[in-house]
Amino acid sequence: MIQMFHVSKSYEGGVPALADITLKIGKGEFLFITGPSGAGKSTLLKIMFGSEPPTQGQLILDGRNYIKIPQPELPALRRRIGFVFQDFKLLPNKSVFDNVALSLKVMGIPPSDVKRRVARMLTYVKLQHRANFKPLQLSGGEQQRVAIARAMVKDPAIILADEPTGNLDPELSVQIIELFKEVNSRGTTVVIATHDKALIEKYARRTIALEGGRLVNA
Amino acid sequence: MRKSGSADFVYIISDALSSLKESKGTTALTSLTLGFSLAIFSLFVFVISNLNGVMEGWGEKTQIVVYVKDNVSSAEAMKDSIMKVAGVRGAEFVSKEKALSELKGALKGYEGILEGVDANPLPASFEIKVLEENNSPEGIAKVVGELKARDWAEDVQYSREWVEKLSAFIKFIQLAAIAMGVFLGAATLFIISNTIRLAVYARKDEIEIMKLVGASDMYVKVPFVLEGLIQGLFGGLLAMCILAVGRYAVLSEIPAYLRFAVEMPFSTVLFLAFLTGAGMLMGVAGSLISMNRFLKV
Repeated sequence: MIQMFHVSKSYEGGVPALADITLKIGKGEFLFITGPSGAGKSTLLKIMFGSEPPTQGQLILDGRNYIKIPQPELPALRRRIGFVFQDFKLLPNKSVFDNVALSLKVMGIPPSDVKRRVARMLTYVKLQHRANFKPLQLSGGEQQRVAIARAMVKDPAIILADEPTGNLDPELSVQIIELFKEVNSRGTTVVIATHDKALIEKYARRTIALEGGRLVNA
Repeated sequence: MRKSGSADFVYIISDALSSLKESKGTTALTSLTLGFSLAIFSLFVFVISNLNGVMEGWGEKTQIVVYVKDNVSSAEAMKDSIMKVAGVRGAEFVSKEKALSELKGALKGYEGILEGVDANPLPASFEIKVLEENNSPEGIAKVVGELKARDWAEDVQYSREWVEKLSAFIKFIQLAAIAMGVFLGAATLFIISNTIRLAVYARKDEIEIMKLVGASDMYVKVPFVLEGLIQGLFGGLLAMCILAVGRYAVLSEIPAYLRFAVEMPFSTVLFLAFLTGAGMLMGVAGSLISMNRFLKV
C-alpha cells in the first residue's frame, strides 16, 4: 500500500528531519510509528500524505509514484487518505457536523448521503449530542474525536493519525484505538504515530521506531 | 468514490454563501476601504477632467483681431475670405460704429475725452477664433501670416505671449495630472490589495484545512471569488454614494465659478458602471492573487 525508498527530508538551513527511510506498509496493515519528540514521526506521516515533499527518495502509494503526481491530481488522492492531525485542524467557525461533512462534500457526495453518514459517524465516536457545537466549545478529547470522525467518515483506504491519543486520558485512548482497530478490520490501512509506549505494548502490532530522523527498527 | 457533479456545484455555492455570512465584518471593512479609495480616485478624475474643460474654454477665447482698411471691400466679401483660411473657426465683424460705441461704453464717465472728435477714427475689424487643433503658438502664427497677406488688412493683432503662456500652462497641468493620477492610482491599488490580502490572510488556516481534506482549488476559490465580487459591488456603490452626497454638499456651499470641480464630466451611467466594474474586478483579482500562495498545500 505504501512504499518508501531512501526517503530523506531536510528543512531550510539543512536541518535533517528524516534520513534514508526505506519502508513497506502492506494493504490492511495496522502500524505504530514510535520515537521521542522530534524524531521525525510527524514528518514521515506528512510525506506519506503528500503535504511535505521529501528532499530525496521515492514514495509509492497505492501503486502510484507520489512524487510525480501533478498538483491538480493531489486532491483526488487525498480523498482516499484520512489524516488525523496532532493539532486537529478543525474549522473554528463551522459546527462539528459541518467539520465532519466537509470530507464528504469535497468528494461531491449527495447531501442526503452526507447527512446520514455524518450522523452515523458522530454516533460512532459518541459525539451525536455535540453535532451543532463549534469546536472551541468542546474539550480537547472531543475535538480529537471530531478530527478522527472527519478522517474516518469517507471510508478511506488509508488512515494516518498523528498522536491521536495525545490529548486523551488512558481510558479514552483505548476507546479511540479500538475505533481504529475496527476500521482496520474492515480493510483500511492504519498508521499511527505515538510516543505512548503503554498503548503500543497493549496492542502488540507492528511497530517501527524513529530516532533522530533514522529508522532504528523496521 | 465521486458521486455527483451537481452536488459539487450545490456545495460550492452554499459554502460560499455561508462563508459570506460568517465573514460579514471583514466583507464590510473591505467594502468600506474599496469604496473610500475609489471615491478619492474618482474625485481626482472629476477635478482633472473638469479643469481640462475649463482650460480648453480659455483657449477658445484666444482671438486674432484683423483691422481692415476703410472702403476697400464689403464686410461679407472679407468674411468669406477669412473663412477660407485654414484653421479659422469663426469671424465676427465689428463695424466702425460698433467699435466707437464699445469705446464709449468702456470710457463711461470720461466721455469728455472724445469731445471734439468729429469723424470716427476707429477702424472696422474682425474678431477671429481658431479651430481647436490650430490653437497652438505655431497654428495661430500660420493663420496670422495668411490674414496679413490680405490686401484689405490694415493690421493683425494677437497676444502671442498669452497664447504661449496658456499653452505651456495647459501642458504643465496635464503632465502634473498624469503624474498625480499614476501616484493616486498606485496608492489606491496598494491600499485595496493590502486590505484584501489581510482579509485572505486571516483565513489562511481555513484554506489549508480545506486543501488537506481533499478540496479542489476550485472548491476553495469560489467562496473567495464570490466575496470579492460582493465586496467590489458594495465598494463601487459606496463610492457612488460618497461622490453623490459630497457633490451635493459642495455644490450648495461653493461659488458658481468653482463648480467646475464637481461637475460630472461624462455619462453618469457609464461612470457608475465603470466604478462598480472596477470595484468588482479589484475584489476578485485581489482575492485570487492573495489566496494563490496558500493553495499550495
